[in-house]
Amino acid sequence: MSPDNVQVPEWAWYYIAVYFFVAGTSAGAYFIGAMEELFSSAKEREVSRAACYVAFPLLLLVPIPLIADLGRPGRFWHLFIYNQGGYPYLNLQSPMSVGSWVLLVFGGCTLLSFLDNLVADRVISFPLFSRYYNRIPRKLYALVGSLAGFFIAGYTGVLLNVTARPFWAATSPLMGALFLVSGASTGAAAISLYLIWRQRNAGEEVARLESFDRALMISELLLIAVLLVLAGHTAQLLVTLPFLVMFWLGAVALGIAAPLWFKYRSRRQHFGGAPHLAHYLCILAGGLLLRISLLQAGQL
Amino acid sequence: MAKGMFIDTTICTGCKSCQVACKQWNGLAAEPAHFGKRSGVPYPVADNFTGDSYDNTGSLSATDWRHVRFIEQIDEQRREKRWLFSSDSCKHCSDAGCLNACPTKAIVRTDLGNVVVQQETCIGCKFCIPSCPYGVISFSEETGTVHKCTLCNDRIHNGLGTACAKACPTGSIRFGEVPDLRRRADARLAQLKGKGEKAQIYGYEEADGLKVFYLFTDRPGVYGQPEQPVVPQRRLVLCSLVTILTALGIGVAALVNFRERLNGKEEHHES
Repeated sequence: MSPDNVQVPEWAWYYIAVYFFVAGTSAGAYFIGAMEELFSSAKEREVSRAACYVAFPLLLLVPIPLIADLGRPGRFWHLFIYNQGGYPYLNLQSPMSVGSWVLLVFGGCTLLSFLDNLVADRVISFPLFSRYYNRIPRKLYALVGSLAGFFIAGYTGVLLNVTARPFWAATSPLMGALFLVSGASTGAAAISLYLIWRQRNAGEEVARLESFDRALMISELLLIAVLLVLAGHTAQLLVTLPFLVMFWLGAVALGIAAPLWFKYRSRRQHFGGAPHLAHYLCILAGGLLLRISLLQAGQL
Repeated sequence: MAKGMFIDTTICTGCKSCQVACKQWNGLAAEPAHFGKRSGVPYPVADNFTGDSYDNTGSLSATDWRHVRFIEQIDEQRREKRWLFSSDSCKHCSDAGCLNACPTKAIVRTDLGNVVVQQETCIGCKFCIPSCPYGVISFSEETGTVHKCTLCNDRIHNGLGTACAKACPTGSIRFGEVPDLRRRADARLAQLKGKGEKAQIYGYEEADGLKVFYLFTDRPGVYGQPEQPVVPQRRLVLCSLVTILTALGIGVAALVNFRERLNGKEEHHES
């Protein structure tokens, strides 16, 4: 066991946990869109279009908290270029180093998909882009992007697991898996919210998304249970006050269990639009609270 | 040849000259005053005391690269007592968690085996801080970067020993080449064991061998050191595998969903 004297990084939750959440949601959404792009019939494009419109703007937010939390924000480019040698630097043992590079790749893919959809929807016209536009490269960057997206959603959990802080170390190797599942679930919720906002009726596609999300949320609950068993006494903080509300009530009850119950009920009885909206917002808020709780439980 | 230090805690007297020498050579900020003026109080008021024996810093920090720990052991009958001292610093691990974690190559190992932070490269991401199983490396709000003992990088590359070893009046801190130090440590251990004392070397196995290692007469935990330190990156492969498997699982779940629906749809079209 590590002693208590392993120091706390004091990552600000309002930067780092928010980054975990935003990046995870963006990556989850992109992956779902890519799955439809890759495996669904060509006519069905509502979900993948929504995914592209969600993923890129969310990802645009990402550099802000990441750079703001650095002690020397002006030096953020050192993540890519070794400043004393002037050559690109990648440390395969450091999730933060690999994650920075993959963020670039993922950013590129989401940008391409975003532009692609804008052109297809005739929001912008971009002659050069349109001329070389065809299905194959679109599938290629959907594939590369969803692999990179998986990495982005999961590596943040691995990053916490490969530290010596007792709670983060004890929950190894499940944090990455949990963040990944949670990212896919919040991504699905973000897509659904976008569809509601744009008043797109995607019927069959949304039903598919819902059944996928139900499976995700059940596995999320299972993962949390196993993770807490692994954590044992290092998870003591989670039964003290801020966490009782934030983690148990917010992330687990309102963020996963209640929406899951609602999803099963609404399969049988059809609710109006408003409760749907509310339960997607609950999923998103729950995903954020989950990241904040698991980050802070290792730091306080 | 790898340089290091051997800390024989049994001959440490807790004089803290290593702490002072370290601060002076490395130009580290002094500790805040132990007494301060309080308005309306005619005499100086004591503050900034740890309340833990003679310990005046409590832990290692960005401006305390050495920390002398004072351990008062008194039995329940209050008859037997023992006062242990231990001068702690960065261990310059052979498999260093901080170095493994650094995403910018700010933390490097020199040709003499010591691990140093290059201040002009560090971006202050703080990932190295929880990656050190010994809680050594620390963040400074002042510089926005991390700091720790360098094993007196400038001195040892110019034929000198470390400042703390130079200042140590009892020879408790020895600087030298690691194999020589180990021979010395083994001899001292044999001597103590011959006298029937409980003693152990801490740092031969940990993190592939610590360049700065210790002779303890009690459990490492008593001296504030982890009993079984784990280099955190050794969990990386397993964590990555589990995460990749989960990703595959999600992929399959998505695929099954799509397939089901697609098949359903095709049947619907056919009918």
